Amino acid sequence: MNNVFQSRNKARTTVYHLRDVTRDRASEGVTFRLRVPSLQIAQGEKIALIGESGCGKSTLLDMLAFISQPSDIASFRFRPEQDKDAIDITRLWKKRQMNRLSELRKRHIGYVMQTGGLLPYLSVRENIALSRSVLGLGKDDTVESLAHELGIARHLDKLPETLSVGERQRVAIGRALSHQPSIVIADEPTASVDPFAAEKIMSLFIGLAEERNITVVVASHAWRHIKRLGLRRLAHHTHRSKDGRTTETVVNG
Amino acid sequence: MRLFKTLRLASRDYGHEWQMSACFVLALAAVLGPMLVLFGLKFGIVGGMLDQLIENPENREIRPVSSGRFDTEWFAAIRLRDDVAFLVPRTRSIAATVELNSDKVGRIVRAELIPSGIGDPLLPDDGPIPTGATQVVLSQQAASKLNVVAGDTVDGSVTRRFRGKRERVHLALTVAAVAPASAFARDGAFVDVRLVEAFEDYRDGRAVSAFGWEGTINDDPRSYPGFRLYAHSIYDVAALSRHLGEIGVDVRNRAADIELVMRMDRNLSAIYWAIAIIGLVGFSLSLGASLWANVDRKRKDLSVLRLVGFRTGDIMWFPVTQALYTAVLGWLLATAIYFAAAYAINDMLAEQLAAGQQVCKLLPQHFVLALTLTVGAAVIAAALAGWRSARIEPSDGLREL
Repeated sequence: MNNVFQSRNKARTTVYHLRDVTRDRASEGVTFRLRVPSLQIAQGEKIALIGESGCGKSTLLDMLAFISQPSDIASFRFRPEQDKDAIDITRLWKKRQMNRLSELRKRHIGYVMQTGGLLPYLSVRENIALSRSVLGLGKDDTVESLAHELGIARHLDKLPETLSVGERQRVAIGRALSHQPSIVIADEPTASVDPFAAEKIMSLFIGLAEERNITVVVASHAWRHIKRLGLRRLAHHTHRSKDGRTTETVVNG
Repeated sequence: MRLFKTLRLASRDYGHEWQMSACFVLALAAVLGPMLVLFGLKFGIVGGMLDQLIENPENREIRPVSSGRFDTEWFAAIRLRDDVAFLVPRTRSIAATVELNSDKVGRIVRAELIPSGIGDPLLPDDGPIPTGATQVVLSQQAASKLNVVAGDTVDGSVTRRFRGKRERVHLALTVAAVAPASAFARDGAFVDVRLVEAFEDYRDGRAVSAFGWEGTINDDPRSYPGFRLYAHSIYDVAALSRHLGEIGVDVRNRAADIELVMRMDRNLSAIYWAIAIIGLVGFSLSLGASLWANVDRKRKDLSVLRLVGFRTGDIMWFPVTQALYTAVLGWLLATAIYFAAAYAINDMLAEQLAAGQQVCKLLPQHFVLALTLTVGAAVIAAALAGWRSARIEPSDGLREL
């Protein structure tokens, strides 16, 4: 299976290209370090990052979404559009070009959070349309058809607080897809839903992404749910120093 | 367009959380409202007292304690001073009465003669003043007893005992005007100084050639036992009185009253400012703290906005917009509280006040000032809090809650 992917990857553009990217985080005297010696994600690829919480999955996703600054970078290139040159993310971070980074994020990336992330004062329809409205995209039936596919069409005019957790996660997925991004990043999107619903939501999500040829990076602690969906599992290992002061997670792929 | 989007979202959030928003507005009004009432009372009470003091000419009057001998040179010298508004000589008070009679009523009114002239502070600035020896301005009480109005003629007469005989002279006096009630409370007639002098001369048995009254001829230079003196303002009274004391004229004035109110104004102002500054600092801190806490509470929502691509600069407008709503609504409510309280206080004390006088009073600019301070404090607090939350990494904001 892996071999098939790799051979296909050569024909496709590499969306993310990271080399020696680290992020340190200190908490209660323990340093958590995430190290990515090398990572390449191709256009349309579906990546799964599996591991216990606290191992640094979220940190990697946040760096890929440009909402968390790496502590040290050798190279970090992002190429959302195949017909254009890769963008040097390292330089943008160094120059603190936050607006440029948020521009890239709103144009090319959809993000599904573990819980919520919906604005409580907007209706489901407005929440899904938010990522479109930020981009200044006009009104069409994207929101409605997404809601239909996600099975939440009858909730469009309700506020998120009236929805179940699972329904809210569907809305969050809708928002991450409605502006037609080329990449969707999802951080444990089904962790707070019961296993049965989780499986359903996850396959719905991957299916929608597949139809749209969207690159997906999803973090989860349950490989069992998603291995059937044909995702590439990213290799990583975590080890703790003898004095217990540092925990390092290394991700390669 | 981007800004408009932020404003719209901020407004939606503010409306969605209307209970929370109402609490912020109430909290603001609960501090600002009483402060406005406090300032209104200070402004109304002390301002009213000062107005009364300044407006009332009695407070600018300086009277001699005992009778003296003041000649025309003395009057000329005092009149030259900048702080003197009005100065006329007075004759002996015993001689300064006249018996008035009108055709309309069959009674004689004994009126005090008040020497007057141009600039008499007791008479209205725009009203007529007695000029010419036969014009009078009657006090209201005298005019109503005689049943006369401006333009009527009254008969004025004085008597004397001359060479063993009782004599009386009559003079037709034109009523130039009726003085306001506040000018003189008894029966009185404001007249030209020359008329008072003429009556005094007649009583003393001297001849008054102007009216053809007979008597002895006396060419001694005239001196007067007293004067009517008014300083320009209440603030000149003390210095002018001191000067008179230095040249040997003991005087009485209302300096003590004036000093009392001025000291009260200073003390009340100091107390007020102490309270106002403490209140204002407390008010700004409480407003700032609640807005700051509110931004902290919303950090996750704000991070979500950044996640979907709102810029840092746009994000700051979110709390600032909501702070503006709180400031303006809170100010409106505080103003309403003030008006209700002011109405109640003024109504309660209405019986003890002159018409139009208010114990609790604020000018429009005071409300504008209150609004400016409120909006300023709110915007600064919200902008700082917004800036702080926009500065932290969105990933931290998303996950810390």
